[in-house]
Amino acid sequence: MNKSSALGRNLALPPNGVGRLQKLFSSNWGARLSAYIAFLIIWQLVALIVPRAPGPVPVFTFIWIEISGGSHGGVLRGQFLQHFIVTLQRFSLGLVMAVVSGALLGILIGSLPFFRALLNDTLLVFLALPAIIWAFLTTMWFGIGPRAPIVTTLLTAAPFVAVNVAQGVRAITPDLHRMSAAFGVPLSKRLRHLILPAVTGYLFAGIRFAIIIGWNGVLLSEWFGAAEGVGWRTRFWYDANRYRGFVGWVVIFIIFIVLLDRLALTPIQQYAFRWRDAQAQSSETTKSSMASS
Amino acid sequence: MALLRFENVTKVFPALTKNDKPIRAIDAVSFEMEGHVFVTLVGPSGCGKSTLLNITSGVDSPTSGQVSFAQNGAAPRIGYVFQDPRLLPWRSVLDNLLYVSDEDKATASQKAQTYLDMVGLGSFANLYPGQLSGGMQQRVGIARAFSVDPDLLLMDEPFSHLDAITAEGLREQLQDIWNETRKMVLFVTHDVREAVELSNRVIMMAPGGRIFADIEIDLPYPRRASDRAVAVLQAEILGRFDEMRAEIPSAKTG
Repeated sequence: MNKSSALGRNLALPPNGVGRLQKLFSSNWGARLSAYIAFLIIWQLVALIVPRAPGPVPVFTFIWIEISGGSHGGVLRGQFLQHFIVTLQRFSLGLVMAVVSGALLGILIGSLPFFRALLNDTLLVFLALPAIIWAFLTTMWFGIGPRAPIVTTLLTAAPFVAVNVAQGVRAITPDLHRMSAAFGVPLSKRLRHLILPAVTGYLFAGIRFAIIIGWNGVLLSEWFGAAEGVGWRTRFWYDANRYRGFVGWVVIFIIFIVLLDRLALTPIQQYAFRWRDAQAQSSETTKSSMASS
Repeated sequence: MALLRFENVTKVFPALTKNDKPIRAIDAVSFEMEGHVFVTLVGPSGCGKSTLLNITSGVDSPTSGQVSFAQNGAAPRIGYVFQDPRLLPWRSVLDNLLYVSDEDKATASQKAQTYLDMVGLGSFANLYPGQLSGGMQQRVGIARAFSVDPDLLLMDEPFSHLDAITAEGLREQLQDIWNETRKMVLFVTHDVREAVELSNRVIMMAPGGRIFADIEIDLPYPRRASDRAVAVLQAEILGRFDEMRAEIPSAKTG
């Protein structure tokens, strides 16, 4: 039962048009939709007041031209796929490296006091360093090219994964470790079937942060240290003084992150936690009928 | 035949702070058990019963003395049943049993299924632990311990968290499985009635971790808690605990 919809029903007027509308907006799905609509309205208002802020209509028109490869006026044509694919490659490579190395570090820090003492402060330093510092540093180290954005993504995202995973490892109850030790379960099996599943929730939290912060990193790095890619293209429009282009690309980033979360991360998470759903679904009635058997 | 021998086993836990004294949990415990026996360590809480079990399983090590297990020269396989089920919530019942097995999957699955059937949970193999009641989870824990084909089965107050009726049912089941599989069992409890009902030898532990009495129980199986003979013996052993309390002042609080 959904809390907001229950509330909505209580407050709703008799089932006339207004009541139904109220019900729609107070449902889970409707509430989310209302947030987007409110955001668009506020955006339009800001565009009306601030003279140089582009409103939603010109921005979405720009996005359409950019994606479809139409003309922006003059010789400028829309370029979406080539930049997007290049950035996506850099981002995914950096992110995969960040998740793997962050998870390994997290497991080490979480399970061995020596590594905790050795790396805890170092990790804090890395967490405190903003993505823009890495973007500058990697551009200085590697020059213009694909390496700077990849390494920036890795360095900005990995600490977030490590911190979360380390916390997850520490949260495993010692009872399960003692059980494994009493039965002589080998370490490799314990890692795969005890530690990894136990930290899955923490790993997902870490990956969510890593995606957001790593995406930040890759764009900043491309802004300063690349000759193509989403970050470079955004800067291109900024330098050309075309704000609808700049804002258009910002909107594309946001849509990308939201889609990635909804279409990739959420389903994987649901699959990993199917045991929890099964637990929630098995009602008290099945439990009592089983117990009597 | 398998032989488990405790020789002068002593365990001293170091003081945690400067003002504390080191705690002697087990004090020069020596005894032997051989073959198809069911030995129960019974005593008030804090007399080192669980520590002795942990040392036997190798999770903990003694300060001095040693525990040895002789069985055709091979290292013993140990099954452990804990106070709580200690199952992995993200693995199905069957996969929880496979987790502790070192055999190939087909053999292990077959054994797991056999013992799940034995504890009456054969048809629940594919459910997650969270879908079962507490008593059923504890039965999974028992099946898990038997499924590794242990040379020695250690049980640490396995029924203490269950309601009386469920616990009684499981005790009866355990006697049957023990007789069927002919395993060596070392059982820990603070419940004298449980000790008398299940075991053919009861070792009474006193506070400070010493053996107070070693009592053979020669009653035929299967036994029921309501059997007259069980009740009489229980009263006798409780009488011995009264003696212990008179002899050892610290036992009064224990």
